Amino acid sequence: MALLQIAEPGQSTVPHEHRLAAGIDLGTTNSLIASVQSGNASTLSDAQGCDILPSIVSYQADNTLVGQTAQALSIEDAQNTITSAKRLIGRSLQDIQSKYPSLPYDFCGDENHPEIMTRQGAVNPVQVSAEILKSLNSRAQAALGGDLTGVVITVPAHFDDAQRQSTKDAAKLAGVSVLRLLNEPTAAAVAYGLDSGQEGVIAVYDLGGGTFDISILRLNKGVFEVLATGGDSALGGDDFDVALVDYFVEQAGLVRPLSPSLERQLMQQACFAKEQLTAKDQVEITISLDDNSDWQTSLSKAKLNELIGSLVNKTLRACRRTLKDADITIDEVIEVVMVGGSTRVPLVRSEVEKHFNKTPLTSIDPDKVVAIGAAIQADVLVGNKPDSEMLLLDVTPLSLGLETMGGLVEKVIPRNTTIPVAKAQEFTTFKDGQTAMAVHVLQGERELVDDCRSLARFELRGIPAMTAGAAHIRVTFKVDADGLLSVSAMEKSSGVESSIEVKPSFGLDDKQISQMIKDSMSNAADDMQARMLKEQQVEASRVIESVQAALLADSKLLTSEEVVVIESAINTLAQVSQGQEIKAIESALDTLNDSTAVFAERRMDSSISQALAGQAVDKM
Amino acid sequence: MNYFQLFNIEASFDVDIQELSSSYQTLQKTVHPDKFAHSSEQEQRIAVQKSAQINDAYQTLKNPLQRAEYILVQRGVEMPNEQHSFQDTSFLMRQMELREMLEDVKFSSNVDAALAEVQSVLSNECSQLSQLMRTQISENNAASNLAACDNLRKLKFYQKLNVEVDRLEDSLFDD
Repeated sequence: MALLQIAEPGQSTVPHEHRLAAGIDLGTTNSLIASVQSGNASTLSDAQGCDILPSIVSYQADNTLVGQTAQALSIEDAQNTITSAKRLIGRSLQDIQSKYPSLPYDFCGDENHPEIMTRQGAVNPVQVSAEILKSLNSRAQAALGGDLTGVVITVPAHFDDAQRQSTKDAAKLAGVSVLRLLNEPTAAAVAYGLDSGQEGVIAVYDLGGGTFDISILRLNKGVFEVLATGGDSALGGDDFDVALVDYFVEQAGLVRPLSPSLERQLMQQACFAKEQLTAKDQVEITISLDDNSDWQTSLSKAKLNELIGSLVNKTLRACRRTLKDADITIDEVIEVVMVGGSTRVPLVRSEVEKHFNKTPLTSIDPDKVVAIGAAIQADVLVGNKPDSEMLLLDVTPLSLGLETMGGLVEKVIPRNTTIPVAKAQEFTTFKDGQTAMAVHVLQGERELVDDCRSLARFELRGIPAMTAGAAHIRVTFKVDADGLLSVSAMEKSSGVESSIEVKPSFGLDDKQISQMIKDSMSNAADDMQARMLKEQQVEASRVIESVQAALLADSKLLTSEEVVVIESAINTLAQVSQGQEIKAIESALDTLNDSTAVFAERRMDSSISQALAGQAVDKM
Repeated sequence: MNYFQLFNIEASFDVDIQELSSSYQTLQKTVHPDKFAHSSEQEQRIAVQKSAQINDAYQTLKNPLQRAEYILVQRGVEMPNEQHSFQDTSFLMRQMELREMLEDVKFSSNVDAALAEVQSVLSNECSQLSQLMRTQISENNAASNLAACDNLRKLKFYQKLNVEVDRLEDSLFDD
């Protein structure tokens, strides 16, 4: 008979095993990966000692370059070198072209699934992001000496469902397991919060290359409660550059359309000028035009401030509105945290300082703070810190609703609702004898359907014919801890049901993803099988480990018959998962899961009552 | 288990928000999906479910209007449908006046002051109604519960007006 291990009180029941985990800041301009090693979170560097990876992918004839090497080709080979893919992810073609009219790419694909034609063929923005993730993943494997159990990937708080889903899809393509999608400002708060041990309300002002977020959080004993978040998923330092480029084009008397390489060169010079003006008051710019002549100009800091002033103001308006949503006055904010490379722009710092009447915190490198926070969260999520008091309570950034008669949106989950959340709303039929209902899911704050983002449409069919208004259709919205939505609808009297994982109109579906994974593998079918087998084996050992730990801790919640059933299911799964049969492992997993369903519920309920009892004792 | 029992606090309209939020955080530290990120899919699913229920209960008790509605429904008071017509004509007249006042803000010579004026009028009338509802809820008899229910519906009208005010504010200060 096997000896049972008994843990000391207060210790984890699972023997300590350090799992490798990392936090990834998948940025518009730059990406980073960080990890907690012997208690310290720090960014990981590549072989050249560089931790910042430019978010640039270049598709060459015989290979795909990522980072600095891709960046080197971004002017001469602009059409095959994709920068700022994050601005394209989860968006429609129309959306992209109206927002960024002068991108040097050859777009193809359809309206809702735009792709970029490169010399390697059509490439989806999700695939571009996957290349960046792959590169960071292999860097981490080299630095940490093993496969990562899981990663936390950060996204702008303001990202909508399509953008979040696409980010997760990119991770799937890259073969990295996502523990959680974490909002960037929340990650930054984690990085700062643990350092300073602050309690109270803080504001995180996050201006990156392509996105702006403002989050208001309350910190209390390790709990980071996001009260409200706001911002603009298409406003960032790149827009400062665009404003400068437009100014250069006008000054130089150039007429658009310009060649892709000239557009790229102008962007680079604009970015250079902006960065130089952080320390200097004046900068000289030289652009080599398509006819090989040079055009020169000088740019003053005052002119830059004038060009970007209205953009900075736009961020401050979002701050005001978000504070209002959080029901917090400016005086209650004890700290303002600055995140994102664009907060280096002096005008941004001075305006934020004026607005909040406080010197903003900049002690952690604004380029690295998000990755560091994500690494701390990853370390906790993967189970390396079982006694951690840290808990992040985040919110939905945008309201979620349904289309009702007359093209109006009925909100089901308002913005700034703490996630995870499940909410149901009842609707009824409009016509006598109506047997089907179209469910149109929308995201946004406006009243009209046309002004909101369409996330998905599906139909509930087979409603029994009744008089108008007699049917009761219950539509349930669920948002998980990653901020991803799923919707289901049910007619109550008949029990007719229909549901959808909201795979947004703009994302990839599961078939496309597995096809892409197959395509990316040299020996497609075999590799795919191997990967699926590995995934199932990992899940099997995870489930066995957690059920064993649960039995050790809480077998008192079970009858001895129940224990026998569970133990036999464990043994079967343990045996089967040594083999190569994916289907057999799946079915043994299902059996074990079925046999522990009630147990898991009971454990959760018992820990709820224990937690409250513990609290009552604390009070006395 | 009702929501007050869930958070182990006294069942009353006058909730100690500090106590509520401290219980809430304790519970979330136990059931939040982040605590199960390395557990089986099944445990993750249950964690999401429980955590969502606790979030919903917390929001309900934290927000005064939702809390009032929850208490009244628990007492068996039938909440009239939103579309149900309102009998109180003087209240409806007042609502129309307030809407007109809001409409006029953008034509005012001093938009800021006009907006502030509307906000202060709304907030005064709201707090009077809330005070009344609170007393009626604590009396807790058939008549007072019905009266509280009526005032709750009125407060919901004000809530909608406040949303309109926010929209107006956004549109005035946007480009």
